[in-house]
Amino acid sequence: MIAVVAYPLTLYLAFGIGMQGYIGLVEGIPYGLFIAPGLITMTAVNAAYNESVWSLWFHRRVQFTIESYRVTPVSVSEIVIAKILSGFTHGLIKGFAVALVIFAITPFRFPLSSLAAYLAFLIPGSALFSCAGVISGTLLDKPETIGRVEAVVVMPLIFMSGLFFPLSSYPAAVAPFISLLPTTALFEGARQAMVTGSFSIPFSANLYLSAAVAFAAAVLIFRKKLAE
Amino acid sequence: MHPIDPDSAIFVNSVTKRYGSLAALDSFDLEVKKGEIFALLGPNGAGKTTLIRILTTLMSPTSGEAYVYGMDTCRNGREIRQLIGVVPQENSLDRYLTARENLELQARLHSLEKKKYKSRIDELLELFGLAGRQNDFPDTFSGGMQRRLVVARALLHQPKILFLDEPTTGLDPQSRRAVWDYIRSIAGEMTIFLTTHYLEEAEQLCERVAIMDHGRLVALGSSAELKAKLVGGATYEIEFAEGSEHFAAVLGKMACVEKLEVSGRTITVNLERWECLSEVITALNGADLRRISLREKTLEEVFISLTGEGVRE
Repeated sequence: MIAVVAYPLTLYLAFGIGMQGYIGLVEGIPYGLFIAPGLITMTAVNAAYNESVWSLWFHRRVQFTIESYRVTPVSVSEIVIAKILSGFTHGLIKGFAVALVIFAITPFRFPLSSLAAYLAFLIPGSALFSCAGVISGTLLDKPETIGRVEAVVVMPLIFMSGLFFPLSSYPAAVAPFISLLPTTALFEGARQAMVTGSFSIPFSANLYLSAAVAFAAAVLIFRKKLAE
Repeated sequence: MHPIDPDSAIFVNSVTKRYGSLAALDSFDLEVKKGEIFALLGPNGAGKTTLIRILTTLMSPTSGEAYVYGMDTCRNGREIRQLIGVVPQENSLDRYLTARENLELQARLHSLEKKKYKSRIDELLELFGLAGRQNDFPDTFSGGMQRRLVVARALLHQPKILFLDEPTTGLDPQSRRAVWDYIRSIAGEMTIFLTTHYLEEAEQLCERVAIMDHGRLVALGSSAELKAKLVGGATYEIEFAEGSEHFAAVLGKMACVEKLEVSGRTITVNLERWECLSEVITALNGADLRRISLREKTLEEVFISLTGEGVRE
């Protein structure tokens, strides 16, 4: 549990508490409160991605257990769904753990009504990252490549989505593209849901559609790769 | 669709599998009857594993048809997978599950009822000598024990066909014989399709043997039939009480002797035809002989004669 909360908590202590005195309010919200939903979301989706990618890679390349599942009556889609659910569950549990710690050390509280709206973003978001993990775990054969993809693709996408700063900071020419990213839909939509209680339909549509496309791609890629 | 004999467990009709320009299987035909123990031999890269992957529905052929119990491997994957048990080349056990949990997972993947699978797992753990280690993780097992657990896992749902892809590779002789004994004990209950590099294994266990190379079937029949097909003459071992050097020189000059090897007081001669033996006996007139014996051809000789002596990558 310490390993799960250490990284997001460090970020929260460094930015949320350490920098709050310098930053003050961001779009009318205290900075500590501004970044809290993003850190919980980041923990959940990172855990979903990591569980899916490493579990699938390990079962495929080290234990060869994927082959033994595939000669039973379960279908490829069922194996992919199981891996996604596994990643997704890890994500939710770890996100919940970080949320408990952040709420324990800060005075911030959210109305329960906001929680449902927040979960409406977190659930497809975790599913999306879990699908991305399944795709990476299926396609990437070397563990160091998995680490590189996380460093070069996953983390930048998370940080670019306004985890620590408002989207209004982007130049006007870039902002429309950033707002189209599914990670932006996830982080910005989840923050709006938790902090203001509002539910962004465009962001949620983007996120659910991305999760559905990622699932279809995960099944297709998994089937194709393992038939080679 | 090709008409399939209802007694066929496996029917492969002109199956080709290509990886780019390489044909792993090239118009491959095969039929295995229900209840048969069948061995598929071939050098590395001959296409054995590709064929098993097609028959176990892990892969589709580029062209041709393959049927398991009359069902098309491309269309009836789920139904076929209910009928088959597979022992892959690797010990694909989950190292984070105990031996018993590995078997329970397999039972659940086959949707077996808990009541049924508990007793079946107990039975298999006992049978494979793993009952005392059922709560241990496979990482702590020897290679032979892991292999036995993989075989137990493949048998859990009582399959009609058992695919064994090099089941005894890497095992010590005792563990190998234990696996052989079990295969013999279940002979007749199910069809067994085995690939192996150990020719002795095929000879000991299987009713029929197929030899494949470069994706093609090059020989098919019982071990005795394949040996009988081996062209060439006979090999005799002649043991002398004394004077083997003199008679080695005499025999070496004879036209019908293809090859001659001297080892101490024993001379091994390869004759062009077995009819040459009378000429050899005449030439040995006056020799102080201890023994003349015919050396049986081995399946290995058949295998090498059909697939060549070159080492495959």
